[in-house]
Amino acid sequence: MKSEEVERLVRALLGELSKRDVSALGRDEDLVERLGLDSLQGLSFLAAVEKRFQVRFPDERLTALRTVGALVEGIQSVRREPVS
Amino acid sequence: MRIGLIAMSGVRVRNPELAALGVSLPQFVSRGKVIASLPSLGLLTVAGLTPPEHEVLYREFAELPPADQELERFDLVGISSFTAQIDEAYALADRYRAAGVPVVLGGLHVSLLPEEAARHADALVVNGAEGAWPRLLQDFQAGEMQPRYAGLRARVFEEPNYALPRFELLRGRPYNRLTVQTSRGCPLDCEFCAASLRITSSFQQKPVDKVVAEIRAALEVSAQPFFELADDNTFINKKWGKELLRALRPLGIRWFTETDISVADDEELLELLAASGCAQVLIGLESPDAGSLASLDPHNWKQRRCDDYLRAIERIQARGVSINGCFILGLDNHGPDIFEKVRDFVARSGLIEVQVTVLTPFPGTPLHARLKREGRLHEEPYWDRCTLFDVTYEPRHMSTAELEAGMRWLFSELYNEREFLQRKRRYMELVKERL
Repeated sequence: MKSEEVERLVRALLGELSKRDVSALGRDEDLVERLGLDSLQGLSFLAAVEKRFQVRFPDERLTALRTVGALVEGIQSVRREPVS
Repeated sequence: MRIGLIAMSGVRVRNPELAALGVSLPQFVSRGKVIASLPSLGLLTVAGLTPPEHEVLYREFAELPPADQELERFDLVGISSFTAQIDEAYALADRYRAAGVPVVLGGLHVSLLPEEAARHADALVVNGAEGAWPRLLQDFQAGEMQPRYAGLRARVFEEPNYALPRFELLRGRPYNRLTVQTSRGCPLDCEFCAASLRITSSFQQKPVDKVVAEIRAALEVSAQPFFELADDNTFINKKWGKELLRALRPLGIRWFTETDISVADDEELLELLAASGCAQVLIGLESPDAGSLASLDPHNWKQRRCDDYLRAIERIQARGVSINGCFILGLDNHGPDIFEKVRDFVARSGLIEVQVTVLTPFPGTPLHARLKREGRLHEEPYWDRCTLFDVTYEPRHMSTAELEAGMRWLFSELYNEREFLQRKRRYMELVKERL
């Protein structure tokens, strides 16, 4: 899946969860601050992303996944890594 | 008349070693910070009880000018405070009074220690503001304000006593969490509890339609707030609880509340909890071993439930509702082995969030009275150390130093990066199972 398609799907999931129009959200804007997500909502969103893309982010990377850009790169990166 | 309502905020741990730990450990005192950053529902209720001809302005203590600058002018000031910030509240009250502005003090601490508070106020409102504040305003305007007004201890949610809190006073402020109260009091009556049961004569529940109206009013101020139900124990009455949850479901909100482990007993309630947007329930487990829970509440209810804790936690969290499990260190039956016991229990339980605090004898509680009788309180007043993390009494089966050191060790075990990430991962897996 191309990066643009991943981003489109991430934004769709984010819009669904936050119930807001996220089309104007910058790729590097902090999701928690910009959308006022609480910590559990942030984790729920990450869980939804993992399920949708059939990936599992390494636990130590979870805290850094706070922008659309970081999520897209995170998904692509996990997909490239060999399954251990 | 221009009335200023001032909320105190910003509980700070006094013990320097614990404060330093707070800087390095994620999640440590996070719950305390959340509480400190909530708007004062009590003052919003006072505003709701104020006749519309008066102008009411809501202020947070942190936004007031420093001591060397002039205060904003009001005709009357109302201040509400937790115990830990009461000294700052008194200093602020003294400052206003020195500037010629009459001051009314209220809140739990003031209700429990009115003689102390009276030295810093022109008038006190004890118990809730319902039944007291409107009378006080009438008397003030007539130049006949009395030194003390006793609010109602019952029927506070009934007309004409009830008033919708004025959430619109928060417009433009950066709160992402708002509070709504659905009940006052708690029949469990734990010895240490310093919550609203101390200012009520019986457990009181708000009619569900009033709760919904308050949430709708709050939603007009903040588009997507996270709601905290400011209750001592929301789901004591399961039938009413289900009615509430059915009414919350169509509102599409996310919310949090405090309750007890008995929610796990009712399958239907659990399903409704998850479906109504409940993200987390805070449950006072208090201690992982039943022996420590003897005499904590008059009926030993928590002691009888203790052996079922692990199964109940699993049942609740399996519905996608996370639990913030709370433990109190320094109970009378706790010895130096309690710290490892809590750590091991947390590891076994799969609790998604954990809150560990130290037993705190808040003034006005049966615990305070008992420890005072037994000569075990540190020098009074110690109100600024009622932070839930500072030790203010002599523990029974260990020294104060052992309790403090054990607490620091346990915090390091529970709140380090690895544990924090593991708890995050557990929550995500729960969410994924329900997607």
